[in-house]
Amino acid sequence: MITQLLVRLVAWAVLGYLLLPLVVILGVSVTATSFLAFPPQGWTLDWYAKMLSDPSYVASFATSTVLALAATFVAVLLSVPAALAMARYDFPGKGTILAALTSPLVFPHIVLGAALLQFGGYFGLTRSFLALLIGHTIIVSPFVLRSVLSMLTPEQRALEEASSDLGGTPWATFFLVVLPQIRPGLVTGSIFAFISSWINVELSIFNTTPDLNTIPVKLFNYVQYTVDPTIAAASGATILVVVVAVIILDLCIGLDLLSERK
Amino acid sequence: MKRTALAPWLMLFAALAFFTAFFLAPFAVVIVASLTQGADQTFTLDHYIRVLGDQYHWDVILVTFRIAALTTLISLLLGYPLAWYLVRVVKWRAWRRACVILLVVPMFTSNIVRSFGWMVLLGRKGLVNQSLLETGLIDTPIRFLGTELGILIGMVYILLPFIVLAAGNALAQVDPAFEQASGDLGASPRATFFHVVLPLTMPGIISGSIMVFTLAASAYVTPALLSGGRISVLSMLIFQQYSSVFDFNYGGALSVVLLIFTLVMVGLAGRVGNIRGNNP
Repeated sequence: MITQLLVRLVAWAVLGYLLLPLVVILGVSVTATSFLAFPPQGWTLDWYAKMLSDPSYVASFATSTVLALAATFVAVLLSVPAALAMARYDFPGKGTILAALTSPLVFPHIVLGAALLQFGGYFGLTRSFLALLIGHTIIVSPFVLRSVLSMLTPEQRALEEASSDLGGTPWATFFLVVLPQIRPGLVTGSIFAFISSWINVELSIFNTTPDLNTIPVKLFNYVQYTVDPTIAAASGATILVVVVAVIILDLCIGLDLLSERK
Repeated sequence: MKRTALAPWLMLFAALAFFTAFFLAPFAVVIVASLTQGADQTFTLDHYIRVLGDQYHWDVILVTFRIAALTTLISLLLGYPLAWYLVRVVKWRAWRRACVILLVVPMFTSNIVRSFGWMVLLGRKGLVNQSLLETGLIDTPIRFLGTELGILIGMVYILLPFIVLAAGNALAQVDPAFEQASGDLGASPRATFFHVVLPLTMPGIISGSIMVFTLAASAYVTPALLSGGRISVLSMLIFQQYSSVFDFNYGGALSVVLLIFTLVMVGLAGRVGNIRGNNP
C-alpha cells in the first residue's frame, strides 16, 4: 500500500514536472508587463498581436510549415515503396538496410547538419530551401518507414494476394487494397515526421539565413541574446499548434498507447 | 513470390539512392576530412591527436557523457514509476489518455521552447528559486543556469517521455497472470517485481535507455541554452567549428569522436543489460 502511494506521488510529481515549463511559457506570453513575469501580471494578447504583425515571424512560421509538409511528402514517396519491398520480399542485407534507413533516428543531428553543410558546399547546395528539405527528409523518413512497415502484416498480405488473384492490376491493388490498409500507419508516421521537422533546430541551424529562417531556429537565435514576451508568444504559438496536432492524432488513431494488451 | 528478384531493389531504389547521396556520402566526407589535411588531402592523424591529446577535450568528453549517463539514470528512476502508474494503477481510460497526451505534447514541442521554459523557471528570481525561498528550504537563491544541475533538469525533461513510453509499452505487454502466479506461490510483491516484472520489461527499458543516452550525448540546444556559456559539451564544440571557426578537419575529428564514444558506451550498456536480462 505504501509502495502504491509512493508510485502515485512520484507519478503526479512527474506529470507536474512535464506540464510546468509549458504552462510557464503560455503564462509569460500573456503577461501585461514588458518583461517575463510568472505568474503573469495582468492579461493581454498584445504580444501575440505584436508577433503576428512582425513579418519575419510570419515568414518563419510559413517556412517551417512548408518545409515540414514538403519533407513529409518526399519521405512518404521514398519510404512507402521501401516498406512494401521489405514486407513482401526476402533479400540479402534486408536487416542491414532497415537498420541503415532508420539510423537517422539516433544519429546526432548536429553531426548530420555539419556533414550536409560541408558536403553541400561542394555543389553550392547550402543555405537554401532545397538544402533544408534534403536534411529534413533524411531525419523524418524513418518515422514513415517504421510505422508503414508495422501495418504490413501477413493478414494484409493475404488480402493483397486475393486482389491480384482476382485480376486486380498492381496499381488498382495498391490504391484500392494496400493504401486503405496502411493508412493508419501512414497517418501516424506522417504526423511524427511533420512534427520532427517542424521543431528541428540542430539540422536547420546550419542552413538558415536571416531571410530563410525556420521558427525554432529564429527562436533559438533570439533566446540566446534577449528574451521578451514576444518570444514567449511565438513559443506559445508553437505549443498551441502541437496541442492541436496531438489532439488530431488522438482523434485519428487514439493515443491510448499504454493500455494493457489482453 | 512470382516476380523476379529485381522487384524489391526497384522499390528500394529511391530510398537507398537518397540515403546514400545525402547521409552516407556526407558522412564519408566528414570522416575523410577528419583524417586529412590541406587542399591535396594528405593523410594525417593530427586532428585526432589534437582532440585526444588535450586535457580540455577529455574534460568536455567527461562532462558530455556524465550528463548523458545521469540523464538516462534519472529519467529511468522517474519514468518507470510513471509508466507503472499509467499502465497498472490508472483505471479510468480517459485519465490515462489525458496523461499520454500530457506526455506527448512536450515531446512534440521544440527543444528550444522547452529549454526556454526552464530558463524562465530556473533563473535567480525564477519560480523555482522563489518557491524554495518562500518555503524556507534555502536562504540564498541556488544557481541553476550555467551549472550541470540546470542542464540535467532540462535534459531529463526533454528525454523522460521516451523512457515512459518505452517502459510503459513493455509493461503493457506483461501478462498480469505472471504476477498473480508469483504472488500465489508466496513471493512478496517486492520479490515479484524484482524477479518477474522487471526482467520481463528489461528489453523495453534497455532500448529506451539507449535511445535516451544517445540523444542526450548529442544534444545541442538544451546544453547551449542552459549552460549560459559556462559549460561546454562535445556538440557545442562541433557546432562552433562548423558555424564560426570553419575548421572542417578538426570539426570532423570531434564529430567522429562523439560518435565512437557514444557507440562504445551503448555497446557496453547493451552487454551489461543482456547479462542482467538473461539471468534474472
